[in-house]
Amino acid sequence: MVKFNKKKNSLVCSFTGRLDTQNCMQWQDELIAKVKELKFPVCFDLQGVNYIASSFLRVCLKVAKEVKSENLSLINLCPSIKKVFKIAGFDKQLNIN
Amino acid sequence: MNLTNVIDVDDVMEKAAQAAAIFSQLDQEHTDRIVRAVYEAGFNNRVKLAKMAYEETGIGVWEHKVIKNVVATQLVYEDIKGLKTVGIISEDEKLGIVEIAQPIGPIFAIIPVTNPTSTVLFKILISLKTRNPIIIRPHSRARKCSNEAARICYEAALKEDAPEDCIQWLKRISREQTQAFMGHKDLALVLATGGSGLVKAAYSSGTPALGVGSGNVPVFIERSADAQFAVEQIFISKTFDNGTVCASEQAVVVEQCIANEVINHFKQHNSYFLSKEEIKLLEPVAFNQALGVMNVEIIGQPASIIAQTANIKAPSDVSLLIAPLEGVGKEYPLSSEILAPILAFYIVEDFEQAVNLCIDLNFYGGIGHTVSLFSNNEEKIKQFACIMNAGRIVVNMPSSDGAVGGIYNTLHPSFTLGCGTGGKNITTDNITAKHLLNIQRITRRRTNERFKNFDKSLYFDESLDAKAIEEKFNRNY
Repeated sequence: MVKFNKKKNSLVCSFTGRLDTQNCMQWQDELIAKVKELKFPVCFDLQGVNYIASSFLRVCLKVAKEVKSENLSLINLCPSIKKVFKIAGFDKQLNIN
Repeated sequence: MNLTNVIDVDDVMEKAAQAAAIFSQLDQEHTDRIVRAVYEAGFNNRVKLAKMAYEETGIGVWEHKVIKNVVATQLVYEDIKGLKTVGIISEDEKLGIVEIAQPIGPIFAIIPVTNPTSTVLFKILISLKTRNPIIIRPHSRARKCSNEAARICYEAALKEDAPEDCIQWLKRISREQTQAFMGHKDLALVLATGGSGLVKAAYSSGTPALGVGSGNVPVFIERSADAQFAVEQIFISKTFDNGTVCASEQAVVVEQCIANEVINHFKQHNSYFLSKEEIKLLEPVAFNQALGVMNVEIIGQPASIIAQTANIKAPSDVSLLIAPLEGVGKEYPLSSEILAPILAFYIVEDFEQAVNLCIDLNFYGGIGHTVSLFSNNEEKIKQFACIMNAGRIVVNMPSSDGAVGGIYNTLHPSFTLGCGTGGKNITTDNITAKHLLNIQRITRRRTNERFKNFDKSLYFDESLDAKAIEEKFNRNY
């Protein structure tokens, strides 16, 4: 699931659990709408996320396109999720901490 | 959308890399669930895909293509389903070695026109079992059926929550694009089953490749063999899918003492022995002398059609054309590999002459592939096998299904038969899932006691040779 938190000039999206296709479908439209509306830099907090599906990668790409890739950062990735972003080559496009 | 009209190589590879990333998280149970679903989907469409392949290519026999699809799904699944392909796959406490299986990454799969659906099903199953995304590159004459096989598998995989784009297939692809894929920085492996040009290009691409070599399979009927049984098996094998399997027999070599018996049995199986004049008529139809290869028009065609094309008056129900030849090489075009129901035929005096002739055939375009033998003499079987240069020496069975594995023996069922260095391949194995893994090894401290206790300063004494060092190294051990 995802919780939204507006902090100064950025939107922090905190995810938890297993971000599989079904899970992503529940919130992705709302998230994209918020990003479009606010046009803030976006931060994805992946603390406690243990699996991501292709849909989540797609959400990352959509958001990166919306706010420009340098304005999307991902934080608190566990090693297996960090490896996913490395293999996908996203670490070269997005800010991954 | 996975059926790409205008191919953007980078886009396809980007999607494959993303699929590989998602794949890396899957556990064994999830992986196996995907493989099971894909196997079932492929198997359930075995007849439809076989008919599509026959209709589109005009090659072979659709009923036989059903069997190929069964081997590529049911038998391949049976073979790989219990294989550990995720995480720790073995632990040896004594040796202190723990093996961990990792996926290799995106695979570019070249599909031949002769097995356009079975090879797709096979390659997809072994790729998914090892959590590798796969890009199907169909043959230009078999795009529809190969891509439909891929689509069916992909749909089934997605239902089990497989990564998006774990299977991609290409509609039209130029030679340049094929090369761009094969040399792409994000590609892990080319799985090349096809003509020698493509396989060579795959090996030259700079990306690791598993390829195949061409075959020119001799089958030797040794005097201790059961002649009737041997002929039945060879007939089944050589007429299977009208001879399109690269491991099918190309030349029969038989000892004089049982030659008449063998000839009579062949004649009872709708086989037609060609006269010298008829061989001359057949040669230009079957073989392109200018290019030095078989004519593509006759690949997988029925014997009756081939005979008709060559103006040979064979019986209308003929199933196999047999050409008695006196030699091997350019002057004897029918001694080459021809993927059609045409067999060269040689009579020799004894075992030694037979082996010499089989070496000639084996080295005339089929190094490293497959040779076949019918014999009940264990000593002769071993002698024959040790002299041949072949990844598979199949004994007392049809060589086509025998080499493919899983039906007549316990070889891994495969549609990519490695031909070793003779065939310019890296392995003689039947390629399967285990070849698509990177195996990492945790190694624990298990000290070599002899090395530990040995006085290393002795290594600097040039007067001590290997024997002297060994004597001290192994002392009291």
